[in-house]
Amino acid sequence: MNIVIPIKQVPETSNVKMDEKTGTMVREGVESIINPLDLYAIEAGIQLKDRFGGTVTVISMGPPNAEKAIREAIAMGCDGGVLVSGREFAGSDTWATAYALSESIKKIGAFDLILCGERATDGDTGQVGPGIASFLDVSLATYVSRIVETDEKEIVVERLIEDGYETLAMRLPALVTVVKEISYPRLPTLRGKQKARKTAVPVWAAAEIGIDAAKLGLNGSPTRVVKIEMPKVTRGGKIVPAPDEESAVRAVDGLVDFLKSKDFI
Amino acid sequence: MNYNKVTPEIVERLAAIVGARHVVTSEEKMESFSHDETPVEQYAHMPEVVVAPRTAQEIAEIMKLANAELIPVTPYGAGSGLSGGAIPVFGGIVISNERMNKILEIDYDNMMVVVEPGVVTNDINAPIAEHGLFYAGYPMSVETCFVGGNVAENAGGGKAVKYGVTGRYVMGMELVTPTGEIVQLGGKLVKDVTGYDIKQLIVGSEGTLGFVTKVILKLSPLPKFKVDLLVLFRDPKSAINMVPVIMSKGGIIPTSIEFMDKLSCQTSCEYLNEHLPYHEAGAMLLIEVDGTRQDAVSEDAETIGELCLENGAIEAYVADNYTTQERCWSVRRNIAEAFKVVSPHQSLEDIVVPIAAIPAFIPEVEKIAEKYDILIPSYGHAGDGNLHSTLVKNPKHSMEQWFDIEKKAVVELYEVVKKLGGTISGEHGIGCKRKPFMNIVSGPQELELMRRIKRAFDPNNIMNPGKIFDME
Repeated sequence: MNIVIPIKQVPETSNVKMDEKTGTMVREGVESIINPLDLYAIEAGIQLKDRFGGTVTVISMGPPNAEKAIREAIAMGCDGGVLVSGREFAGSDTWATAYALSESIKKIGAFDLILCGERATDGDTGQVGPGIASFLDVSLATYVSRIVETDEKEIVVERLIEDGYETLAMRLPALVTVVKEISYPRLPTLRGKQKARKTAVPVWAAAEIGIDAAKLGLNGSPTRVVKIEMPKVTRGGKIVPAPDEESAVRAVDGLVDFLKSKDFI
Repeated sequence: MNYNKVTPEIVERLAAIVGARHVVTSEEKMESFSHDETPVEQYAHMPEVVVAPRTAQEIAEIMKLANAELIPVTPYGAGSGLSGGAIPVFGGIVISNERMNKILEIDYDNMMVVVEPGVVTNDINAPIAEHGLFYAGYPMSVETCFVGGNVAENAGGGKAVKYGVTGRYVMGMELVTPTGEIVQLGGKLVKDVTGYDIKQLIVGSEGTLGFVTKVILKLSPLPKFKVDLLVLFRDPKSAINMVPVIMSKGGIIPTSIEFMDKLSCQTSCEYLNEHLPYHEAGAMLLIEVDGTRQDAVSEDAETIGELCLENGAIEAYVADNYTTQERCWSVRRNIAEAFKVVSPHQSLEDIVVPIAAIPAFIPEVEKIAEKYDILIPSYGHAGDGNLHSTLVKNPKHSMEQWFDIEKKAVVELYEVVKKLGGTISGEHGIGCKRKPFMNIVSGPQELELMRRIKRAFDPNNIMNPGKIFDME
């Protein structure tokens, strides 16, 4: 089974500081990591390879140092990776990104399954995976929490929906976006790191993939950012002073009424 | 010990020294000064009054008053101690250093910082980071503990293999003696053999010889890169054997070499829902290397990893970014929390043995655990031989049974440690918690020497009495 896993390098956001004036992230000194949800896709892919053989190839579109993310994926157990990089890609929205990645995947060759993380922690759209599926015209299942079974022709997956799970059988090739429940990502090993260092990671620009540069970057992107608005913080606590028993009882009654009015209890 | 009580008149005189606003007598507010991080039900003791002075002069006056009236004085910092060192076991006056919290000077030319004792240790690091410096002598509680407490306990931590403990960085201090003199010790000097090194005697004296009101600390170049290795071994022996191999054969001094026995890593992994293949591991090491050049640091990590695999490690995981590093360290960091699920009643120990004795120590501890039907995970700083073996109450036992078992098991643990050439505390201190067991590891002559030193500083035994050893 040949598996392709598109991954994204994102800023490590747990220690991130915000510039209060501009409302943007302070990127200086922020480390770049593999999008956390992509790690689950990588693990699921490696497990399928362990069962069925074949190869797992990661692909990432991003700046030159996204190569680090690809090597980390190889260190975890993927076989190889491709970096799609060049100035012509800069500013691409989810449509242009999905288009560029789908063309790159065609160039990689025949595949049975594409596994994506459900969304990236920075853009938070969850659109690129489904976008690739539609450009490649393959079956698609999003929010997949379990691969029930699979063979050369078909895959059965369980996907997370609002009220529970649904089970879908799809013809291969297919694209699946995964949620955390699907696996427990492994850590990169020393042997994996050594292998990753020796593995050549080709860098493809638009010309090498043979795609129309007009469909890429800011100009090729139908999305326009018109305005960025900071949401107003409307949450706020209320402290009810209750110096004596009587006022404490009153405060508790008030809290119960409040929770009832909001349908919490 | 016959001390006098704190009378309303003495409270008034204290208020005259520090200002009425900085004198606390309400039970509610004094409660937080009655304990540190040791179990409240076993060790807590209420003070009679808490004062928060601002200057060394004020403290000197308090000392003179306490000496004249024979009232015990206990220094108190952040309350993050683990040996009951800041608990006012005889009541009396607690002096909180919370208002002495200024970084007085950052001297970049000499790479030193002058701070007051109430500064949170990690706060030193924020302003100096952009100048490429950091303060290296910090313990694990770096985000909450105060410098004064670090000095009093000679605190160490997870990075002591490479950077050592607090004492290495204390270049000078201002001390208020128990008799009320203000003394300047040391200075911004890297070398200084002018007479007895009194400042180093004060470091680790647990606040029994005076009140530190100013500290000069040495700073170090801030490492820019770090790589962690989480290495799984079949048994503790093959893990511990790596410590000298890494340093001699590898020629590398790692920042940390943390050890986790089977019970520790299994319980922590289960608690974290961490699916590393911990079932196969009889022990784990978490090894960190740091430095200024990324390729050099990666190379060191690779050398260490290769050595581990050559010497029978099951697997070596490499963490060179925040996500994976956090994942590895959280296994080590969450051990204590994980055992709180088993029982919140524990005795966190701090034994230290010669590094090579750790493999012999582990089965002995397992025997004690089995004998008393409790859990005793052992984890900690393998690179220093300092292990935080933790006695965890069996939920089936009553509290009475537990207190009885704890007392007996701790003595047996200490006897094992002594037999192996070790001692009962590496970085937490003796305080009141381990005072009853000092005679297991310190002979009568040594204890008598300590008493003579104590008498020379504090003839009336008013400064933090009831800690480390008794005067009779």
